[in-house]
Amino acid sequence: MTVIDHPLRARPKRRPLRDPFLLLPLLVLLAVAVMAISAPWLFPGDPLDMVAMPYLWPLDDPAFPLGTDSLGRDLTAGLFHGARATLLVGISSAALCLGFGTLIGAAAGYLGGRTDLILMRVTEIFQTMPTMLLVIVLLAISDPSLTLIVVAIGLASWPMVARLARAEFITLRHRDFVLAARALGYGPFRIVFIEILPNALPTLIVATSVLIANGILIESAVSFLNLGDANTVTWGSLIGAGRTQIRTEWYLSAIPGIAIILTVLAVNFLGDRLTRILNPRLRA
Amino acid sequence: MKRRDLLAGLAGLPLTALLPRIALAAGGGGTVTAVAATETPVLLAFVNTSSTIWSAKTTEGLLEFDHDLTPRPLLAAEWDVAEDGLTYTFRLRQGVKWHDGNDFTADDVTFSLETMKRLHPRNRSTFAHITAFEAPDPHTVILRLEKPTPFLLTALSSGESPIVPKHLYAEDADPLTHPNNTAPIGTGPYVFKEWVRGSHLIFDRNPNYWDADLPRVDRLVVRFITDAAARTIAFETGDVDIGVRTPVPFRDLEGLEDLEHIVLEPQGYTYSPPNITIVEANLRDPILSDLRVRQAIAHSIDREALAKIVFYGRATPSASAVVPYHKDFHLADPSPYALDLGAAKALLAEAGHPDGVTLTLDYTSEDQRLVGEFLRASLSRAGIALELRGQDMGTLIARIYGDQAYQLHLASISNLFDPQVGVQRLYWSKNIIKGVAFSNGTGYQNPEVDALLEAAATSTDRAARIEAWHEVQRIVARDVPNFPLVAPTWLTIANTRIEGHTSGAEGAYDGSLRRLAVRA
Repeated sequence: MTVIDHPLRARPKRRPLRDPFLLLPLLVLLAVAVMAISAPWLFPGDPLDMVAMPYLWPLDDPAFPLGTDSLGRDLTAGLFHGARATLLVGISSAALCLGFGTLIGAAAGYLGGRTDLILMRVTEIFQTMPTMLLVIVLLAISDPSLTLIVVAIGLASWPMVARLARAEFITLRHRDFVLAARALGYGPFRIVFIEILPNALPTLIVATSVLIANGILIESAVSFLNLGDANTVTWGSLIGAGRTQIRTEWYLSAIPGIAIILTVLAVNFLGDRLTRILNPRLRA
Repeated sequence: MKRRDLLAGLAGLPLTALLPRIALAAGGGGTVTAVAATETPVLLAFVNTSSTIWSAKTTEGLLEFDHDLTPRPLLAAEWDVAEDGLTYTFRLRQGVKWHDGNDFTADDVTFSLETMKRLHPRNRSTFAHITAFEAPDPHTVILRLEKPTPFLLTALSSGESPIVPKHLYAEDADPLTHPNNTAPIGTGPYVFKEWVRGSHLIFDRNPNYWDADLPRVDRLVVRFITDAAARTIAFETGDVDIGVRTPVPFRDLEGLEDLEHIVLEPQGYTYSPPNITIVEANLRDPILSDLRVRQAIAHSIDREALAKIVFYGRATPSASAVVPYHKDFHLADPSPYALDLGAAKALLAEAGHPDGVTLTLDYTSEDQRLVGEFLRASLSRAGIALELRGQDMGTLIARIYGDQAYQLHLASISNLFDPQVGVQRLYWSKNIIKGVAFSNGTGYQNPEVDALLEAAATSTDRAARIEAWHEVQRIVARDVPNFPLVAPTWLTIANTRIEGHTSGAEGAYDGSLRRLAVRA
């Protein structure tokens, strides 16, 4: 019956937390989350305010452990507040993609026929557009704000999820448990959301980790290019602001750069390990 | 044996007296490489004023200018201005040839000036009072005016009023799209050779230049390097020899200054002085139409700190939109609203904003973002929250000058060679023109200011003009439709192996670089 190939309810037999490639990413992400949550308490002022001498090097002044930038803004405060924006953009753009993409993919995969044809052609139109370019265009023609960046990234990256969801739904809709549900007279909404979706979720969850990493990278690139919201600190904007001083005060770009690398790597590793844990075929 | 040794040996011979001359005529030769951050749309400033930087290298004007803006002969050998300022007579230089071998004549001059009166964004108004362009013989041009235009001679530089060959422009040719814009034929010291977009420009020495001793370099190459830090490195390694208008981040100037092979040349910016960095208030906005709010903003700006922190001390604070480079016209008085956060808060409260206000500040480009961030931090101390809104130039112009839907606008306004040409547009009520960029965007109207500006525009008495301009600056400083901040320093960065790049008011930017040479 259905319960047997229902991976979410099957417990992995190994102890995954012993795996350093799972444990370390989790720790990194936990640290970033703590930074994001604690920022308003640890650094209550505006992180963009000028608070000290410009160009204090890291460890020069214990009050500003990561130093200050050209206007005398505290890099530590910037990094902590930046974690908020960076995580927010990563997670909300991924959530937006996931929601929208799954909806389209599910409709196409489950209903098939003409609906499938139309929805997939629309998806392909979006797929042929380079993600970064689409985001830049969307931001250039309107006022950049964090919400808009999230929407732009979401709008540019949902096709991947839609295609994945469609593939999953096409394979699952002819399975016995779906036929049984149909035979029992369940409506299409119940079948799609209660019966099929949970079975398609593992694939989609793994895809989400890629989307989060992707969202963080796109946001950073956009902020670096000065197209982001000038009123919010993000890690990308910190790198962009430090860029002209990279030969003298390299720490201004290096520190937020390392933060981005670690976070994106952590999300990717996590996704990779989740695939192994959630996919029964890869489990020994 | 090196050439230098050869010359030293020759110095002992009786020919000595002739030698320097020979060495110069031989030109020293060599190639000079200039650097530019961006490419201009075209290479000729005939009807496109955003393309001045390389224009004078191929295409000359009637006059050039000393560091104090005294006119000197270029294509005009002599000139005479009538006492009443209504007739200008120019005797043109003889024996001048266009790059294509044709003779340069008075018809070329009248054609160029007349066309600019129709199509040049600024000369349209500079030449507005010229009623006749006459060429009585091939080497004489007479201009007749209905009213005096005191800055007319100054406008006749190569960069502002280039003289183009009439024979290339057929009767119905559109000067805006003419091929001469991108492959200019002029009378200048350098002949256009090639333009590879995104990469480089090449100009070769004009062998038939009317001044037989010049130019002294064989080739002028322009390299386009978009990244600011990469430009600094190019100067350090000697890959490029010259760049104008401070082509590197201000942060890197100190390091460059210490290098033996680099000079920072502050001269050569009196013709086109540095822009004024300025915040403009939209006087149509319900919050900003209140004088007290604008006074509060003025009270919370620290120009000295801005110059020191954002520009590393390489900017001149100026409370007037007429930059200090215009020594006579600039009014050096400080703003009547000195830095005083207490006064700012009191004024805000009085204007009905006891809890402060939130205002948007529109800007474009990365340099301005840093100024905006400085202002946001400064103004926040007086309870004024600034929301920065960055955008590309097109969007900005549409928003500020088209829709007029903004509160504060951070701009960089060029002063040019006379405040009448550069600054008047900010305050003259007739310059409130929807859709015209960098005009009177604030919507400021003051009949007194209008009258003073109009009187100064047609007066031949320089002292009276200066007094009128001082009075204008006093009035607008009180009314604060805008907040002039600083004039960032423009420096020409040059390798010591070259010389002669800054020989007058026009410097290497507006000037022709005809005296440029590689040191022997």
